[in-house]
Amino acid sequence: MKSVVLLSDARHPVSGRAVLSRLEAQAIGLGTALGGTLTGLHAGDCEDGVQESLGHGLSALDILSLPPEADPVSALTDFLKAQKADLILAGRRGEGGFDSGLLPYALAEALGLPILADAVALTPGEATDTLVVDQALAKGARRRVTVRLPALVTVHPLAPAPLPFAFGAMRRGTIRRHVAEAADASTDPVEERPYRARPKLMRTSSATASAENLHVGPEPEEAARLILDYLESNGIRRYG
Amino acid sequence: MTRPRIDPRASRTEQRVASGENGRRRYDLSSRTASNPIGPPRRDPRQEWAASLIDRPGRRRYDRSQRPVARGGASNVEAARVGSAAEAVSTEPTVRIIEEPAFLVFAFVDAPGGRLSRFDRQVLGGARLLADAGGGGGAVVAIVAEEIDGLGAAGADRVMSLPTNGSASARAAALRAAIETHAPRHVLFAEDGDAADCARRLSVALGEPLFSNVEHLTARQVVRPNRGRRAELAAAPPRLMTLGEDRAKMHAGAPGEARPLEFETAPSDDQAILSVEIIPGDPARLALSETDFVVSAGNGVTDFEGFRELAALMKGTPGASRVVCDAGLMPRGAQVGASGTVLAADCYFALGISGAPQHLQGIAACEQVIAVNTDLHAAMIERAGLAIVQDAQLVMPALIKLLKERQS
Repeated sequence: MKSVVLLSDARHPVSGRAVLSRLEAQAIGLGTALGGTLTGLHAGDCEDGVQESLGHGLSALDILSLPPEADPVSALTDFLKAQKADLILAGRRGEGGFDSGLLPYALAEALGLPILADAVALTPGEATDTLVVDQALAKGARRRVTVRLPALVTVHPLAPAPLPFAFGAMRRGTIRRHVAEAADASTDPVEERPYRARPKLMRTSSATASAENLHVGPEPEEAARLILDYLESNGIRRYG
Repeated sequence: MTRPRIDPRASRTEQRVASGENGRRRYDLSSRTASNPIGPPRRDPRQEWAASLIDRPGRRRYDRSQRPVARGGASNVEAARVGSAAEAVSTEPTVRIIEEPAFLVFAFVDAPGGRLSRFDRQVLGGARLLADAGGGGGAVVAIVAEEIDGLGAAGADRVMSLPTNGSASARAAALRAAIETHAPRHVLFAEDGDAADCARRLSVALGEPLFSNVEHLTARQVVRPNRGRRAELAAAPPRLMTLGEDRAKMHAGAPGEARPLEFETAPSDDQAILSVEIIPGDPARLALSETDFVVSAGNGVTDFEGFRELAALMKGTPGASRVVCDAGLMPRGAQVGASGTVLAADCYFALGISGAPQHLQGIAACEQVIAVNTDLHAAMIERAGLAIVQDAQLVMPALIKLLKERQS
């Protein structure tokens, strides 16, 4: 199987230095466990962060040279059409650009591939050219989807931790540079300004201690009945 | 500086009131001027105190906790206790009915398990804010996949049910058809899970930009982070938006009517998806930060075999207080609180926990808390929605017995 991991130009949140995004390192871990050849693909002009991916288990890295403001979708589409990869992996939100998470969807649309979001585990399917993807849902549930390859899969932060970094492997890895045609990003009338952290809403409890829900010294059987009734009336759990 | 600076001289000049020829200069300091438009409204401290007065005979008591308490309900309880039940006024809130909406705002409600989460309520609250913008008259349409209770109270005027067969692309296609038919002014999603996935599919299918992960939402402006939180983008509210968690207030006003809005679509099928299977999470093996129901033991519990059996029977994830983890009776990974796990669960069941401040920090986000403790004056009893003053060691076997009876 031939897999490609999309890599973005992420920055460390504190130091601002170029680093490999953790989600993409986790995607490399998932792709490596699947077997076959796995290469990285980056469109941009900064190699410092993405070459760390070679130390996390990639054998080779393709870099499409593009100016930082260019729209990478058309260049990536042309390259991936030539590659004919079975599986394209990406973090669910790329970092460093618009951070909107739209690029995998735009790529899937351009390549005509199915896209599955928020994968935490990948296993080969029983039939050839199929893949079983476990998607993370709320409250620990998983959705197990069998998809016919080729497909595009984005990775959730709950996926297994990335493989440990090896400096020697990073030095030995191959970097192939390609010249790509830059397409202008659409200019939209959105004002950009320095980031200002805004407070989140406080998480206060809506339930207040009320006199009718305070029971002093009930019989244990009565207390047990009260607790189960409270859980069932609030829709937390159903028993029996 | 991102906010405009205030010019005090200009605003003073604008506040000047025209007076006679040789009269004194007079100013209207309460007027809002163009150069100082953001002055806070004046507070009326007497009115605030009067509002926090608890309606109870005898000594005057005030509730300054700033929690939304149903005062009408409280007074009704008191009136009933005194015996003048006939005078009790109905506190049933009047439902707001919008017959002919000027425009529509769609709110995508995921609600796994048919229960509205905090985040879903915040999305509905944000949609309500946008629907009331600019003179109001808009209606909030909740887009749901299954039947959900409490949508009206959360602020929905209409409910549109889009059937799902488990395929995300089919759901996005149905929503796209609904958007093309009804032409809503805004479509609001949660930046989480299936809602975020659907928003992006829709954005690509419609060819419209998506304003994702909104951190600041008002009727006039939305703001989102950009370039790894080194910059931010601000714009007037566009059509497609995803809202970040804890960024918009839940709806607290009059409930909407949640009238069903019929919409028929032909279900489409994704050829590449061969099978879909939902695997529910096993509460016993879930991480504390991921689970929705925690059964927790404190110093009042001595029988830990019984406690583990109870947690398994209640289908909850076992947790513990710091004292219990320090004593080695439960693993460190089960510790709840400031130095352990800060929970995001819906419900917390505390057995024999008095509620140290560090422990209460860990359960600040839990909506429902049940406490069993021998001390009436414990902080956990005050925090709980259902408080039982009884020995946890006596309640545990009774609970196990009752659960086994109900399951058989």
